[in-house]
Amino acid sequence: MRWFRFAVIILTVTVLQASLLDIIAVTGLNIKPDLLLILLVFFAIYCNTSEVIITSFTIGFAADIISPAMGPQIISFGLSGTALAYLHQVIAIKKMSYQSAAIFITGFLAGVVVHFLTYLKGQPTGSNVYTVVFGTSLYSALVGPFLFLPSVWWMRIKTHRFGRH
Amino acid sequence: MLFAWFMLAGFIFLFAPQNLTNKFQFAFARIFQWPLSIGRNISLSTRTRQPLTDAVSHREYENHIANLTKWLEQEHKKVEKLSGLPDRSALEDVKFILADVIRDSDTSHSELIINRGKKHGLRQGQFVLGDNSIIGKISNVSFRSAQVKLVTNPTSKIAVRIAGLNVGRIMEGAGNNSAKIQMLSTKHKVRVGDAVYADKKIGFLDDLIIIGKVAQYKRGDEPLLWDITVKPVCDIETLNIVVVVVMNP
Repeated sequence: MRWFRFAVIILTVTVLQASLLDIIAVTGLNIKPDLLLILLVFFAIYCNTSEVIITSFTIGFAADIISPAMGPQIISFGLSGTALAYLHQVIAIKKMSYQSAAIFITGFLAGVVVHFLTYLKGQPTGSNVYTVVFGTSLYSALVGPFLFLPSVWWMRIKTHRFGRH
Repeated sequence: MLFAWFMLAGFIFLFAPQNLTNKFQFAFARIFQWPLSIGRNISLSTRTRQPLTDAVSHREYENHIANLTKWLEQEHKKVEKLSGLPDRSALEDVKFILADVIRDSDTSHSELIINRGKKHGLRQGQFVLGDNSIIGKISNVSFRSAQVKLVTNPTSKIAVRIAGLNVGRIMEGAGNNSAKIQMLSTKHKVRVGDAVYADKKIGFLDDLIIIGKVAQYKRGDEPLLWDITVKPVCDIETLNIVVVVVMNP
């Protein structure tokens, strides 16, 4: 794992997520893809388990920095990323359709956990939470696999095109 | 083991006081202020498709006129009461501090982070203007940045007055770019389009300033009370610059 490259990609994506991504937001609910969620799934697929734990919690921390409340996303991203890494040991998530499905399911479950933890913290959760969570997960699932290729190149990850590694 | 330590850290963040954890968010906003502002400006410029023919928007003029009308009305009342006794201007001791919006801290646009803080005289509770209308209050302040809780935030509560009614009520944020006034008796006549003003608050606001307009009213769960929906008169999503009202600087 190249940790410097990891730090650069996380900082860049966090800034993009907090500012520029509004350009491609859709509907009145401002639904946009969650780049940090896509990265979470990317690292869960391409890294070993201990690296996934570190990357998942770090990405969760980055997601919390640009959210109204600190804490919920660290926990939910940490849990989801780690669970996905263990799942990947059993089921290979290599096809684009599987990657999309992984992003969608992870996004939806992480979103529900974030909503619950935000409520637990006593912060406002906004209206139409589940619509936003569903829309964000779907949008991320659609664009996510296309972002895996540049991420693989940037992280200098060696992928095995045929067979499981 | 690693997982357990990270989970513990997550729970510490979750249950730590908000003013402590906000420091991380303020630090990020300060460090990346430049790229965040550029990104926000680009996304706003792609979203705003109306031609820029006027330097000041029509909405801003309208809000300014609404504020002036209310001030004039009050000044008339004072003159009538005091009949010539010396009086000071409503905004005599007020300092307006311009601030850039660094970013929305929330996808539902119920909070903003601005690039002014304690260093510039900001403190919790001060009112924030956008397009000459109140958009929210300062909820958290660091040395060089601050968080603005918008009037539409579900935890926001602001004392307001509806134009034409001589009663003060509390307006609560309802999310989804709207707010609610609920404890108003149905004996009061309310109309769609009535202006809603932020009420005076000693040390924070010396005069009534427009917040929004009545968008809808109906009888609430309690049949003798109105359930009034208020829409802000400012398009908060597209704001780049806000003004913080600092009394007695």
